[in-house]
Amino acid sequence: MSAERAPGLLAGDSLNLRLARRSLGLIALCLVLLPFADLAITTHDPWAELERMLAGLLHPDMLATESLPHAIALTIGFALWGTLLGVVLGFPLALLSPRSRLLRGSCAFVRAIHELFWALLLLQVFGLSAVTAIAALTIPYAGIFAKVYAEILELTPRAPVDALPEGVGRLSRFVYAELPMVWARLSSYTRYRFECAMRSSVLLGFVGLPTLGFHLESAFREGRYPEAGALLWVFYLMIASLHLWGHRRLLPWIALGSLFLLGPWPDIDGALLWRFISVDLWPKPLLEGNWSGLWQWFGEIPDLLPAIGNTLLLGLMGTAGSLVVALLLWPLASRHFGNRPTRMAGKGVLILMRSTPELMLAFIFLLMLGPSMLPAWLALSLHNGALIAFLVARHADAIVPGSHALPASSRYTYELLPRLYGGLLALLFYRAETIIRETALLGMLGIATLGFHIDSSFAYLMFDQAFFLLLITAGLNIAVDALARRYRPREIADTPGERDRPAGEATC
Amino acid sequence: MSVEELVRFDGEALGHARHTVLADLSLGLRAGERVALLGPSGVGKSTLLAALRQRLGHRVAWCPQEHGLVPPLSVYHNVYMGRLERHSALANLINLLRPRRDAWRDIQALCGELGLEGLLKRPVAQLSGGQRQRVAIARALYQAREVFLGDEPVASIDPHQARRLLYMVQSQHATCVIALHQRELALTHFDRVWGLRDGQLILDAPARELTLDDLDTLYPDAHSSDAQPEPA
Repeated sequence: MSAERAPGLLAGDSLNLRLARRSLGLIALCLVLLPFADLAITTHDPWAELERMLAGLLHPDMLATESLPHAIALTIGFALWGTLLGVVLGFPLALLSPRSRLLRGSCAFVRAIHELFWALLLLQVFGLSAVTAIAALTIPYAGIFAKVYAEILELTPRAPVDALPEGVGRLSRFVYAELPMVWARLSSYTRYRFECAMRSSVLLGFVGLPTLGFHLESAFREGRYPEAGALLWVFYLMIASLHLWGHRRLLPWIALGSLFLLGPWPDIDGALLWRFISVDLWPKPLLEGNWSGLWQWFGEIPDLLPAIGNTLLLGLMGTAGSLVVALLLWPLASRHFGNRPTRMAGKGVLILMRSTPELMLAFIFLLMLGPSMLPAWLALSLHNGALIAFLVARHADAIVPGSHALPASSRYTYELLPRLYGGLLALLFYRAETIIRETALLGMLGIATLGFHIDSSFAYLMFDQAFFLLLITAGLNIAVDALARRYRPREIADTPGERDRPAGEATC
Repeated sequence: MSVEELVRFDGEALGHARHTVLADLSLGLRAGERVALLGPSGVGKSTLLAALRQRLGHRVAWCPQEHGLVPPLSVYHNVYMGRLERHSALANLINLLRPRRDAWRDIQALCGELGLEGLLKRPVAQLSGGQRQRVAIARALYQAREVFLGDEPVASIDPHQARRLLYMVQSQHATCVIALHQRELALTHFDRVWGLRDGQLILDAPARELTLDDLDTLYPDAHSSDAQPEPA
């Protein structure tokens, strides 16, 4: 008599068990490596600091910032022009990129470098000007649009083209039978990108460009919390009211109007620009063909391997942290749990956390906890976890509960999570690319990732070293993206509807 | 009396890359002949029509099923697409922004006859199924070609309307091949019937020599009501 034995812990071949093993593996790896991370709290009294910040948020001082309207106008102007020019460049690239591997590679490269790093690079040539700000958004966005637009165009239905009479030219065919079929998707993604651009535009203040972020950073750094609180509220209001002022008819006028505020435009010295691109960015031994000198040059880069290690470690910790946060938080915003007030509050918290950029969150935590990996870890986990939780809650709301009156814990574990987990994990792995990009960036706050060395190389005017580190960062990013793509659960994520909606909204 | 033969298939196999839909097909389409194409759904009517379209090239006014339309564009633009190849790319672009006067006038008249008056500016996405089919017919009529090829153009239209539309199509095109599933219409409005079954042409005869019972033999379960799914 051979009765079937009950399977052991997590044994079995069902999809969810495989996913569970995969995610527990991720968390275990994170725990094993955790001792290598510097998680010290170095400030004297973090809670008191947090209290002062919250007090500032509750009693904001709207009049403390000089030229607040100007900063708001610049933030919007940069975002709008950055997105607009990104579309203008990205759209033709999207049409051409399916045919050229080189083009796809170049697009992957430009979007692998964060907007702020582009700003740091361009700053050296164009100074603190609108050219720097707009180009810093336009360049990576062109790469992003090229990829996402190409993915959308690929899904164009064929039937209308087949129905056309013989001999219709390419352009006519495209504008009549192809473009209209995907127009709605293209424009909704572009709107989403504009929202991302607003956040990035605020962040440009962290490298000194006069957007909202500039005032925010200095107010926080100097402990003027009521002013900082006011600026944060202005930021949230700007994002939340986007649907009111971001109307299709209004945006061209805002774009034109902002042109008057964006100046003064820098004088561009062609010779200087050429020198920067052809000489300053490259190691001198390389230009001279001196190979042994080049070896020595490599040796002079400080802490390259620890920086790469820290970037990867923090990226891993951020991914694992986001997973845990997303698992804990999504019920907050789902109709299956709690009552109306708790859901409203939950949704509010999630939206607040996902609209605050990681850099800003990390900066605030840094002031509380002191410089270590801890603030960066918290920021990455909370921001990305909240973003994923929000999208998962929306998926959950589409599920009609089958059986009745289960207690909340069983509803979570038996009824909902098994159906949502694949999607959640797909989002997380999709997000890994963004997390590693942000991880490198957080170095600018003084955390020992690649960004720290990029920032200081620029500060010491060692452009060749900075550029080299930027290349390393981009390479790392592309490698992590390829890895995440490999482990992304494909079984769920590849139905066309699922594929472009949540994934599209998880890219910034 | 010899009539010009527009297309002739001699024992040919039609189908997609690996999969033969119609084997050993022999038939001819003569000028001035109105042909009804009958057969259960999925038997290869669309495949045969596509092959005819390919052979006839520029002489064809093509009326596919409604998914050939572009839902986000207006009725006017969808009909205009029937003559897209006759204007320059620039003219077509401008027409998207501001309709051409002459085209607007012609299409307005055409749509009036098809019962689509007042809908020219409306996106096709907002129309009912029957209205969409009429837009597809309008586009084919607007092409103003010699031979009309229609893939169930009157499928979800009531019998009275269907007769009127067929009359309109046939008064503009001496030659036509139209896939149908209303057998009565095949006998009353056409000169010849082609019947497909099991990947074969099993019926090719003048309509006046046929009865409804003859046509029933095309459908494996003509009398059991649920075995014959309505074509989409």
